[in-house]
Amino acid sequence: MDIAIELIDLTKDFGTLRALNRLNLKVSFREIFGIIGPNGAGKTTALRVVSTLLLPTSGAVKVFSLDVVRDAAEVRKVITYLPEEAGAYRNLSGWEYLEFMAKFSTKGKDEVREIVKEAAEITGLGERLKDRTKAYSKGMKRRLLVARALMNKPKLAILDEPTSGLDVLHAYHVRDVIKRYVQEHDVTVLLSSHNMLEVEHLCDRVALLNKGQIVAEGKPQELKEKFGSANLEEVFAKVVGLA
Amino acid sequence: MLKGFGNFLVKELKELIRDPKILLGMIIVPLIMFPMLGVIMSYSMQSAQEQAAKAGLLVVNNDGGNWSETIIAYLNLTAKVSVVNNTDLDNEVALQLLSEYNATYFIEIPSGFSANMTDYDNGNETIKATVKATLNFYGVFSGSGMFESLGSSTIDDSIYGFNRHVAPDAVDVAKSAIIKGEIKKGVDPAILSSLMFLQSIGMPITIMILLTYSMQIAATSVAMEKEEKTLETLLTLPMDRLAILMGKLSGSIFVAGIGALAYMIGFNYYMGSFTTGIPAGTALDLVSLGLVPSLFGYLLLGISLFVALLSALALAVIISAFAEDVRSAQSLIGYIYPLIFIPSFALMFLDINVLPLALKILIYAIPYSHPIITSRAVIIGDYWTATLGIIYVTAFTIVVMYAASRLFATEKILTAKLKFKGLRRRGKKPVEGFQ
Repeated sequence: MDIAIELIDLTKDFGTLRALNRLNLKVSFREIFGIIGPNGAGKTTALRVVSTLLLPTSGAVKVFSLDVVRDAAEVRKVITYLPEEAGAYRNLSGWEYLEFMAKFSTKGKDEVREIVKEAAEITGLGERLKDRTKAYSKGMKRRLLVARALMNKPKLAILDEPTSGLDVLHAYHVRDVIKRYVQEHDVTVLLSSHNMLEVEHLCDRVALLNKGQIVAEGKPQELKEKFGSANLEEVFAKVVGLA
Repeated sequence: MLKGFGNFLVKELKELIRDPKILLGMIIVPLIMFPMLGVIMSYSMQSAQEQAAKAGLLVVNNDGGNWSETIIAYLNLTAKVSVVNNTDLDNEVALQLLSEYNATYFIEIPSGFSANMTDYDNGNETIKATVKATLNFYGVFSGSGMFESLGSSTIDDSIYGFNRHVAPDAVDVAKSAIIKGEIKKGVDPAILSSLMFLQSIGMPITIMILLTYSMQIAATSVAMEKEEKTLETLLTLPMDRLAILMGKLSGSIFVAGIGALAYMIGFNYYMGSFTTGIPAGTALDLVSLGLVPSLFGYLLLGISLFVALLSALALAVIISAFAEDVRSAQSLIGYIYPLIFIPSFALMFLDINVLPLALKILIYAIPYSHPIITSRAVIIGDYWTATLGIIYVTAFTIVVMYAASRLFATEKILTAKLKFKGLRRRGKKPVEGFQ
C-alpha cells in the first residue's frame, strides 16, 4: 500500500488548550479519507497541520514521505487546501481568480489557459465566471473554490467541509467532482465533515475524531457492522457513549 | 414612541462601551493625546518667551547721538539691552555678534539717526511727512516654528510705544532677514515666517494623512484575507511567504502614493489660496532666498518618506495579524495613530530645539517625526539632520520588517489571536477539544 499521509503521535496545543492528542493515522494513495466528528473535535486543526499552516506541538506528519515541518515548501507543491467557508477575492471575476491561482502551479501561458478551462468546466458556472465573485451565491463560490483546489491535479487535496452550507444540488455537484477527480487523475483526498451521512457515501475510509482523539477508524461499512449500527451517526453516538 | 428603541439602545451602548478597542481608540487616546499636545505647546511658547527675555536685546549703535541714547534708554525699560558701538555690519560680523550675545536678532541704530530725529522734531508738517528716522532690524530665519517671529513683533511693539511717547511715526523699522548666514535686506523674518508657516504645515498634514491612509489600506488588506479566509489558501500555495508580505506592502504603497499625490495637488491649491492673499508689498520670492529644497534635499526627503512609510506599513501588517476581521484591524491600527499625530501636530507649530530634553528625545524616538523634521531641515540645507533621521528610521524599518517577515513565515499569522486567548487561561491544565 502506497502511503500518502502519515500522522505519527500528532499533538497540537494552543496555549493550554490541547486540540489534538497523539493522533496516529495512515491514508493510502488515491484514497478519499474522511475525518469526521462534531464541532470542536479538532478536524480543522488536523487538516491545517497536514497542509503546513500549523506546526505540530509534538509528533510528526508526513505527506508522500515529506515532513510537513522540515519540507514544508516541498509539501506545498503537491497539495491544495480548501479551508472551510473560504472566500474568493471579491473584486476579481471567477475567471481571474482561477487564472491567479493557476499561475502559482504552472508557468506557461498555454498550460494556465488549459488548467483554467478545465476548472471552468468543473465549476459549471458558465458565463457567470466573468462576474466578480462578490456577486456569487455561497454555492457558486464553493464550486469555484473546489474547482480551484482540484484544477491543477494535486497529489493530495485537503478539503475542509467541502459541502458545508450547500443545498442538495450544489452539494451533489461538489461530491461528484471530487469522486470523478480521484478516479481520473490519481488524486488523494483528505476531507473533514461533520455530516456523517454524506461522508459515508463519499469516503473510502473514515476516522471518527472526538475531543482531539481518534475514537474509531475504518471503512464505513466495517464500522457500521462492528458497532451494529445503521449509519455512521449511530456509530459515533455509540463510540462516545451517547447511545 | 419607537417600540423597542430603549431596550435596543441599552444593548448598543453596552456593546460599544465594553469593546476595549473603542474605549481605548476613541476615548482614552484623545483624552491623553490632546492634553499632551496642549502641554507641549504651552511649554514651548513659555520657553520661547523666556529664551527671548533671557537673551535680552542687542543694539548696534552706529549713530552715537542724543536720540540714540534716548531710544536705548527707552528700550532698556522693557529688556536688558547690550550695546555695541560703531560696528560695520556685514554677514560675518552680524553672525559673530549673534553668536557672541546668544541672540537670534538685533537692532542697528544707523548713522544719521539722531540728525533725522532732530529734523523731524523741529520740522513742520511737510518735513514730518518726508523725514523719518530709521532703525534696522536683523533677525535670523531658520524655519523652525511659529514662535520665530517673536523677536520681530517685540521690536514692533517697542517702537510703537516709543513713537507714542515722542511723535507718531517718527521712527521706522527696516527689517532684514539672515538666511543661511546671509543678510537679505528688505525681507521681514516675521512675514517670511508666516509665509513659510503656511507652507510648512502642508508637509506634516500630508505625511499624517499619507501614513494613516496607507496603514489603513495595509491593515485592511491583511484583515480582509483573514476575514475571507483567503489567507489560509495563500499560505498553502507554492510561493515564498515573503512574497505575500512584499506584495501587500507594495500594493499599499502604490495606492497610498496615488492618494498622497492627489492630496498634495489639492492641498497645494488650497495653500495657494492663502499665499495669494498676502499683500503685494510683502510678497517674497522663496526661490531667490534659497528657501526651497535643492535636488539633493528633495532626494533626502523622498528617502525619508519612503522608509517611514515602509515601517508604518510593516507595523500595520503586524498589528492586523492580531485582528480577526477588518473592523478589529482598523480599531487596532488606531492605537498607533498617536505616534503619527503627536509629532505631526507638535512639529507643525514648534521648533524641536526649544523643547525640553525629554520631549526632544521622545519626538526624535518616534520614527514618524523624521519625515517632518527632514522636510524642514532640507529647506535650510541641514542635510546632516536629514541623513541621521533616515539612518534611524531605516534601522527601525529593518527591525519591523524582520518582525513582519517572521510573522508571515510562521503559524503566528494565523494563531496570534488564539495565543492571546491562551494567555488568559495560563495556569490552567490543558483542556481537550478544538476545531
